[in-house]
Amino acid sequence: MEFEVQDNQANNSIQGVINLQPQVNQVQAQQQEIPIKQTDLQVSSTLEESVAVTLLRDLRQIGVKLRCVLVPTMSSNNAKELRNWDLWGPLVFCLMLALTLSLSGNNDDGPGIFATIFVLIWVGSFVVTLNAQLLGGKVSFFQSVCVLGYCVFPINLGALFTLFFSFFYLKMFLVIGCFLWSTYSAVGFMKQLIPEQKRILALYPVILFYLFLSWFALIV
Amino acid sequence: MLDNLNQDVSILQPSLQMTDSQVQNRIRQMKMEDPDEQTCYQKFCNLFTIEYYREYFDVTTELVIAKVVNAFNPFSGTFFDIGGGIPELYGPFWILNTLIFTIALSVNIIKYMQLKPGEHFEYQFEIVPFLAIFMYLKTLIVPMIYRVALKCVSQDRLTLLHCFTIYGYSAVVMIPISLLNSIPNPAIQWMLLVYVLFAQTSFLTSNFNQELKYLPKEKKYMIVGLVAVVQITIMILYKFYFFSSFNYQQLGLVKKRTNTHILQHILGAN
Repeated sequence: MEFEVQDNQANNSIQGVINLQPQVNQVQAQQQEIPIKQTDLQVSSTLEESVAVTLLRDLRQIGVKLRCVLVPTMSSNNAKELRNWDLWGPLVFCLMLALTLSLSGNNDDGPGIFATIFVLIWVGSFVVTLNAQLLGGKVSFFQSVCVLGYCVFPINLGALFTLFFSFFYLKMFLVIGCFLWSTYSAVGFMKQLIPEQKRILALYPVILFYLFLSWFALIV
Repeated sequence: MLDNLNQDVSILQPSLQMTDSQVQNRIRQMKMEDPDEQTCYQKFCNLFTIEYYREYFDVTTELVIAKVVNAFNPFSGTFFDIGGGIPELYGPFWILNTLIFTIALSVNIIKYMQLKPGEHFEYQFEIVPFLAIFMYLKTLIVPMIYRVALKCVSQDRLTLLHCFTIYGYSAVVMIPISLLNSIPNPAIQWMLLVYVLFAQTSFLTSNFNQELKYLPKEKKYMIVGLVAVVQITIMILYKFYFFSSFNYQQLGLVKKRTNTHILQHILGAN
């Protein structure tokens, strides 16, 4: 298709010729192919790659974000990385924690514990984020749920430790250490988004949330 | 009209006068309710937007801490003077959740201390959903009872949200007491419970008294009596369901079998 347009200033109109003749010549048709956009190439390539490659890429992204969240260095790279939230990481850690606690030998209500931990983590993150938003913080909803979910990872480690050790005070010491690590990371992220005079009000529910989860990890 | 708001408000009791930021909030709220400025979903589903509830979370750390410290003092009666007496929902909600956590913790500690040597400790958390439901229902229903009673004696200055606020903050006393309740001595446990009953009732009545000063004596005593009776009922429930030294399975609060309804257990066991 070709256009020819002229600006006719005499009577304020635009005249032109639109040539709608299809390209009959095959060589010319090939040369005038619409260039394939970059994203189309990416879409077709991710559809054609193997499942292992896809999973490994997602796991690598989860690992990168985990390192950003759990090694609180407050760099701007961290902040940018965290802005691309995803909920795969929180789901993986939530399932891992629920499975660990429900399969440990100390109880007779495995499915009940699994359901309780699962509901507790998601509803708890939801309520804590809602609280931060209601207090006037400029925190994006899913980004906050994402960070709270990633910070559950140390409690995961604590639950795994309690499986292997049996001396109660050692377990308590390790679980307290994991709780402090989780809380420090989550607080470091949320601290920046709340105005100064309401900071403790928004951070106290985070502390309560991780305290509850750590208590579960210790007792079960 | 909006400019004269503070002057109109100043004819109310001094304890309910608004500060500048509260006036701004009120102006914002009135704009929100102005039908010309509302978006479509705000007209119909205002209850589901966050902005609707933001007004009740307009608190600072010092305000909440001041209110909590005031709640530990059963005789002061100055609760509604702090921060201009605006109702808020942050304090009651998080005090409630903390209370659920501490009661669950102390129930487990009591059970742990009652173990005979050689017995394996089984933690008890089937009680947590039951406890949570009981607490949430209590915090929803009891302020409504208070509001209805206040309406009957024609006292309109304390709204339902004020009742929610003061009832929520009165539960703060329960938090350290429930942790102390895990001491195995029954005399200490009864004394702590009596102290909580007394502290909560006198906190509530001394604060209602500030607003009820101008009523005749019978109506005042009726309100005080109602508060006391409700508190006694709740304390008895605490003692015999949550803090008792009975075997929890006997009380039917533990689901040993998966197919039976929990209510049948309670009725059957009693």
